[in-house]
Amino acid sequence: MASFEVALGNNPGQPSTKSPGTKEIATALQVKPTNPRPRKPNYAAIHSRSLPLEVHPLPAFIPHNPLSYLRIAITLLSHALFPPTSHPIIHKGFFSAESQSIHVTDPRSVRALWEQGFWGKGSLSRSEPRWLDQEKRSRGIVAVQTSEEATRLRREERRQFKLERAKKERETIEQQLREEGKLEAVEELEQVLMNGAATIPSNGTLGASNDTTNGATQIEDLEYLQLTPEEAFFLSYGLGTLQIHKNGYSLPSPYLFRLYCAYATFPISENAELYLHKFYQNELRSNGTHTSSGICPIAPDNPFLLKYAVYHHFRSLGWIVRPGIKFAIDYLLYLRGPVFSHAEYAIMIIPSYSHPYWSVSPERKAECKRREHRDWWWLHRLNRVQNQVLKTLVLVYVEVPPPWDEDCRGRGFEVDVGDVLKRYTVREFIVRRWIPNRNRD
Amino acid sequence: MADEDEDISRLRTAASADEGDLSDETQDFRFFDKLTAYDSKDLTLPKRGDKDFEPHATSLQLSNLEASRQAMHGVLSWQRIHTPKKHLLGLYDPGHNMASVERAKGENFQTIGQTKGITTWLLPEEALFLIEKGSLDCRWPVTKPTEDEDSTSKPQEGTPMSLQGAYAAFIGFEGGVGGKLTLEMYTVYASLKRTGYVVFRTGSWDDNRPGLQPSEHTALEHTSTNSSPQRSSFFVEIWRRLGRHDTEDLSKRLQCGPMVKLGLYRSYTDIYRLLEIIHTHDHKAPPMFTLEPDSLNPFRVTFDVYKPAGKFKKTARGEPDYRVAVINARETSVPTAAQLNDLLATTPYNAFKSDGNLYAKLRHGSRNVILAIVDNGIPSYIRIADVAFSEEKLYERVGRAPRGKGRSRGRGRGRGRGR
Repeated sequence: MASFEVALGNNPGQPSTKSPGTKEIATALQVKPTNPRPRKPNYAAIHSRSLPLEVHPLPAFIPHNPLSYLRIAITLLSHALFPPTSHPIIHKGFFSAESQSIHVTDPRSVRALWEQGFWGKGSLSRSEPRWLDQEKRSRGIVAVQTSEEATRLRREERRQFKLERAKKERETIEQQLREEGKLEAVEELEQVLMNGAATIPSNGTLGASNDTTNGATQIEDLEYLQLTPEEAFFLSYGLGTLQIHKNGYSLPSPYLFRLYCAYATFPISENAELYLHKFYQNELRSNGTHTSSGICPIAPDNPFLLKYAVYHHFRSLGWIVRPGIKFAIDYLLYLRGPVFSHAEYAIMIIPSYSHPYWSVSPERKAECKRREHRDWWWLHRLNRVQNQVLKTLVLVYVEVPPPWDEDCRGRGFEVDVGDVLKRYTVREFIVRRWIPNRNRD
Repeated sequence: MADEDEDISRLRTAASADEGDLSDETQDFRFFDKLTAYDSKDLTLPKRGDKDFEPHATSLQLSNLEASRQAMHGVLSWQRIHTPKKHLLGLYDPGHNMASVERAKGENFQTIGQTKGITTWLLPEEALFLIEKGSLDCRWPVTKPTEDEDSTSKPQEGTPMSLQGAYAAFIGFEGGVGGKLTLEMYTVYASLKRTGYVVFRTGSWDDNRPGLQPSEHTALEHTSTNSSPQRSSFFVEIWRRLGRHDTEDLSKRLQCGPMVKLGLYRSYTDIYRLLEIIHTHDHKAPPMFTLEPDSLNPFRVTFDVYKPAGKFKKTARGEPDYRVAVINARETSVPTAAQLNDLLATTPYNAFKSDGNLYAKLRHGSRNVILAIVDNGIPSYIRIADVAFSEEKLYERVGRAPRGKGRSRGRGRGRGRGR
């Protein structure tokens, strides 16, 4: 399969865009054939805010310009008289027990949360909520290319390139055979190669719905934003810009903390949310006297806790953190966001039981050993996958403290979230393959 | 050998035209002919040949294949001999599990052995490597010649040690000098040596554990950063107090959230500072061991590895380029945080020199070690670096971020790869 690289001679690394099929497709997709690639939106302006909060910087201070003093004074005065707010909108979300995620349905909130820090994922899109745009595109109302379409186009180009490659390869073999005078073998060989990869592609996969119905029809936006519990908790507990609503009132952070923890363990106890909610309402009614008795204490190595500690850690450093299940890891770290650059780091969380509490008795020691055990094949598998997608694997060890929620039955819902989070320590290690041949220089 | 190689080549076809590492690539055996040519004035190393995997009916391919086979046979049937000029006689010392060579000379001994007087002592891995290479003729020790001296014709030379005998003698001997050599360690030693590196044992292997490696860097940084940032942080503090009106109870804020209260903020940096709550490992602090000292701890630096470049003196080796810890894949698992901490505490603090590139800096880390994970004789090397993400506050690096997508890495791999 690989001999063509030598045989071809020209650079095979680039997909040949000159192939007729590709051009056809490209023109079919774009509105203006003269402008092959539409201008990218100004992402730097769209995503200028790294958090869904508003800041009010003072005008630049220029010592030799008296006007700048004045401007600063005016700004300070106006801010003192009419204090601007850091939270222009408080977004509204709903916990969905079935999907274990938090739904945000208001289109304005969806847009804002995506643009200001890349939170969540469109329920009908790959990541950015673009379902409506895609729908409009396919009905011929607007002409924007979504990333999903770009992917499709790229895949087609690549396929075309591979076909070309196979063709070239076949031709060199044929040439060789002809030189050796084995012409009768040619037909047979061609047969073999033809029913393999080298079939002529049909263009049916692209631009599926070309029937341009009248664009006046209003399309209802069926998409909502779904947030993972960690994202939602960071937005509500950390930034205070998201409120989780149930039956018309917003839920406090300690309640949400217990809720997400309850849903992070497997198996999830049936009606976990219902129980929690009932207790919560009881407590509200009884006004502070803690009657709740049926709450399970949160284990110190609850998966939600471990993940949240890591999530909060990287978010608070300014990284854009997104779930990484597609890469077999826990999180991906983006420098400014997915629209600017590829993720560089792939985060894998490993619990660590170094605290003396965990090695008090042999049974406990064995249990901890079992929980932190990962074999070398696991690590190599993980690292190989990350190499393939050009990410750097980061192992994040989270130090698990001794249990802190034993007396929850007495205290009811009260959880000192900040105090709990302070008990966890994270430590990062970067893992890379080391190849002796490459490092000798 | 040829069969095994075919297997590999088939695997490569499946694994797409990926940028594989050279070690995985196949060699064209036809180039071996150059190695074994008897009129060899220009002995050159074999180069890598073209890849050609799928059988097709061309005679060209068949003849190439036949030539490769012939070359392989040529190599294997080549007779290897000890030339009298280079003949090196070693003597096995069962008490120390070492071999001694009198008046050792030659290229090998620039990077191997320890010279005392006219005797050069070889550690088990060194002796075994030389025997396997065919450079050393090691002899079993002679049993003390008893009364009938005439029965042994040559009392000075014992029986030659076979390769099998050498493996049996040198590997796994507990009572030797400097701890026992395991097969895994020897595998890694030999493979690194063959790749061209200079490899030495790190310290002695039979003590409980090597010492901590504090860093002069940290001490320097602590003293230098004491004076000036204090003053600037004072102004920052005043500025922040001017900016904020409410002096709210911090613990209350942390208890129920939100950590960022409604208010007036001058910059995102202020907000990010409020969000800092998760503790991280302090990389600037002097390192400490977490586990009890234990000579059986598998995670310890085994070899000091030096790049082959430049003049090397074995008496003044200097700082190694790499530190390799040999791990048995079947008997251990991925290290716990405590094990990693203890292992890295024995490696020196090695900060990234140039400033600027965030990714390169993070990738380099503050301390690092190379794990050679050996599974039944096949080593896999993994570099583990202790990285302080918390020291790189991204929100303070605004404007210095790498721009655009796909600039730093080639576009050839496709836009959508691994988003």
